[in-house]
Amino acid sequence: MTHSPVPPPAAAPPSLATLAKTTAVSVLVAALLLVTTVLPAEYGIDPLGTGRALGLTDIASPPVAPAAEPPKGAALVPVQNGPLGVYPAAFTFDTYQVALGPYEYVEYKYRLEKDATLLYSWSASAPVLHDMHGERAEVTDGVPPEQSFDKQNRREASGSHGSLVAPFAGIHGWYWENPGGETIIIRLTSAGYYTSAVEIRSDRSRRTRELRSLDALPLFAPPAGPGGQP
Amino acid sequence: MIRPSVVLAFALILLAPTATLRAHDNYRIIGTVAQVTKDALDVKQTKDGKIVRMMFVEKSTVTRDKKKVPVSDLKPGTHVVVDARGDSLLELDIVEVRIVPPPKK
Repeated sequence: MTHSPVPPPAAAPPSLATLAKTTAVSVLVAALLLVTTVLPAEYGIDPLGTGRALGLTDIASPPVAPAAEPPKGAALVPVQNGPLGVYPAAFTFDTYQVALGPYEYVEYKYRLEKDATLLYSWSASAPVLHDMHGERAEVTDGVPPEQSFDKQNRREASGSHGSLVAPFAGIHGWYWENPGGETIIIRLTSAGYYTSAVEIRSDRSRRTRELRSLDALPLFAPPAGPGGQP
Repeated sequence: MIRPSVVLAFALILLAPTATLRAHDNYRIIGTVAQVTKDALDVKQTKDGKIVRMMFVEKSTVTRDKKKVPVSDLKPGTHVVVDARGDSLLELDIVEVRIVPPPKK
């Protein structure tokens, strides 16, 4: 004689009240995760401060350029003495030339501390779209990570000469875009209290450029020795 | 009694769409159309000849002289400048495809 297997008793379906409670708790947990982790990590929105505590806000806004150490370990921040801004080290200078192919764009930016000064002149072989702007070194809630300094935002020009006092610590510089089908050459000369320079191409590749100190400039002839001999 | 695993599963399902909403980088791809379908555009880059695949999304636009034109205007060999957003060259959503004249040599 054989025994046929007895089927297990069917589980009772959850009641409507249980389903509603489960859904409500799930929505609550999802909202909590959204506010405490997803928003800080993805968008830098951190209303409860959990993103900063867990280091998640760095994911939303990673540092865009390596922060090079200024000479002698001191940040190149000016100490104001009346009209003078006194720095702990000499300024740096830089020359940069780039060939922008048809429709290409490039960004070129310097790392400046807040209130540090930059002098510049740039020229282009044909009109380019341009915009001078800065990216903050640190992202703060409610403050845009970028700020344009140029009222002629992305208008065409063949050059510009000026100076900038950095309104915040971060990288500051130019966006240049070739609007047409012919290659354009852009040349930039600058001097200032910056510590690094970065070139960002339209394929998002980044290249940190080496800067030169004043000692690299052959500005002075060797001092004359006795009898006028060098 | 609400099982924790059920709550977690519901929460993950509700959060899933937000994973696609990321802060992306802007890319510009310049070249000629290699292939176009209703979902994707392959562009052969001028600078290195490599083909980059980008996906059309709901807000993607195709323009010529700043005027919108249909996707059907994109033919193999058409010179284009594509602004796209994504995490890398392997994962790009199209913002705008500009049909441009061939670069002067």
